[in-house]
Amino acid sequence: MSEFNWVLRGRCYKLGDDVPHAGDVIPASFVTGREMNPDVLIPHLFERIDPGFHTRCRPGDLIVTGRNFGMGPKGNGYVAMQALGLGLLCESTSVQSYRAAICSGLRVLTHCTGITTLCDTGDDIECNFFTGRFINHTRKQTHDFPPVPEELRELIAEGGNKGWLAHWWQTVGASQQA
Amino acid sequence: MGFTAIEKVLARTSGREHVHAGDIVYPDPDMVMIHDGLVREAKGELDAIGIKQVAAPKKVMMVSDHDVLYGSDRAAERGAFNRKAAAQWGIEGFYDAGRGGHGHIFPMEQGSVLPGMFYFDNDTHATNAGAVGAFGLRVGNEISRVLATGTTWVEVPKTVQLELNGKLPNGVQARDIGFYLARQVKSGKVSVDLDYRVLEYAGDLDQFGLGGRVALCSTPTEMRAAGVFVPPSAAVLEYCTKHAKRTFTPVFSDADATYEARFSFDLSAIAPQVSLPGNVGNAVDVGEASGTAIDHAFIGSCGSGMYEDLLCAASFLKGRRIASGVRLFIVPGSERSTRRMVEEGLMQIFLDAGAMLLPAGCGPCNDAVVGPVARGEVSLSTATNNNHGRFGPIDARLFLGSPATVAASALAGKITDPRTMPADAALRDRMESAYV
Repeated sequence: MSEFNWVLRGRCYKLGDDVPHAGDVIPASFVTGREMNPDVLIPHLFERIDPGFHTRCRPGDLIVTGRNFGMGPKGNGYVAMQALGLGLLCESTSVQSYRAAICSGLRVLTHCTGITTLCDTGDDIECNFFTGRFINHTRKQTHDFPPVPEELRELIAEGGNKGWLAHWWQTVGASQQA
Repeated sequence: MGFTAIEKVLARTSGREHVHAGDIVYPDPDMVMIHDGLVREAKGELDAIGIKQVAAPKKVMMVSDHDVLYGSDRAAERGAFNRKAAAQWGIEGFYDAGRGGHGHIFPMEQGSVLPGMFYFDNDTHATNAGAVGAFGLRVGNEISRVLATGTTWVEVPKTVQLELNGKLPNGVQARDIGFYLARQVKSGKVSVDLDYRVLEYAGDLDQFGLGGRVALCSTPTEMRAAGVFVPPSAAVLEYCTKHAKRTFTPVFSDADATYEARFSFDLSAIAPQVSLPGNVGNAVDVGEASGTAIDHAFIGSCGSGMYEDLLCAASFLKGRRIASGVRLFIVPGSERSTRRMVEEGLMQIFLDAGAMLLPAGCGPCNDAVVGPVARGEVSLSTATNNNHGRFGPIDARLFLGSPATVAASALAGKITDPRTMPADAALRDRMESAYV
């Protein structure tokens, strides 16, 4: 876990409050179809509200959102964000939405109260998800938010639920079940 | 300082003396539930890693409720996969299509979900377990981890208490309380956030039978509650004891437990509610929506698929015909209820009225795999929510109401206050003893 890169730096993409997961983050058909293949999902990430997003974003870029991001428990779009190497910083999101993001291995912080006032789309921003430190290099400002809880760091560092399970199987599970 | 019911249940299953809201624990569940819609994804994930066994197959209940009619090749393939998966994993608690019914209803009816229990579930509406004083917690796709390892992480939820005072007026039902709650919160009249909270009811609860208690669990779930808890009454405990498939110990919150918030409703002031399209919180008193012509009606779902709900529908439909141009789907929550409908005369009432009966399960409520609406149509149903597109086309107008409101409206062909339409008294009276 120590080699895991907890710091992302890149371009800020800022969104507002109450962005629904089905529809605005990823088309609803992929949610109802339970599509979890990143190769299928990536071309459609933010397709409705920001066409061509996947061709412009770069690993390290950070999505900054207002309150209640995702508006529910669905998380198919997080799979695409994680595969693209993006990070997510939310003023708030429902706990089940946060759970879905963590489960996909996405570097994500919630409870980032006021973050939408600290940056704008296009800013050069950085976040250390291990410590919660947020830096806006464009504005030369620093702010601290609650970091990823200690109990959940391993889950993110192993790449989410799938990665955690594979690691568990190799290190513990196979010998247990044998 | 005392503890809430969820804190007590998670302490027991986590092997701790006590836990507090906010703690992260790894409970050893009493049961694990997965439905037909996610088995393929979960098994595919485990197979890819090489995990061929589940940790505790005897604890697993695999239910078939989301797509039981197989209206597409894809659904039939999924069903075939699920049967093989159940065999490969050695799941004795596999309820195939046509066996059991709705996973958030029949396990309570048959005594598999009991007071004080805790289980993991892939599905949001596991909160229905609160109707008997149990907890089912949704973990979504992480059900694969639960299947493989036996557990996963859980943040102990905070609890909010809602006291219900007085008696519901005639024609007003438990589902109306949920719509009213969502309305009060959305309008800001009640300032409470249910996101990942347990909503615990208190007050004059003895008036609610098992069906009413299930209905009380529905709308808070749409408001993102992690759980709902209805402290079991003597009647509920008697039913559970009679049908229990295992031993159980009921759990109640301590008098000095810590609640994040407490608020109350005067039940006598609540009228039948209708949620206008788009959100459960768009509820209004039925009078404000009355007269809107409907094309499609549906009685069933996690929130209204109990035998009491079927009796309620029958009490309106008996001796009447559904309005021309309206199609009404009746979806029982369990195979047991379907059998009772035949044995106790309800089936004949529904057929005579021109209603269509679907197999026990989710019915149209699961992405309208059956019984969808056409573009521009108007639906009134007891579905769990009325988010745009839930029954197919995004521009269809989806209203929600109680079983009484939906039944009365299907007969009138337009949204109708059930208090204006006499119901069969004998059938209505049987609702009280629907579960004994």
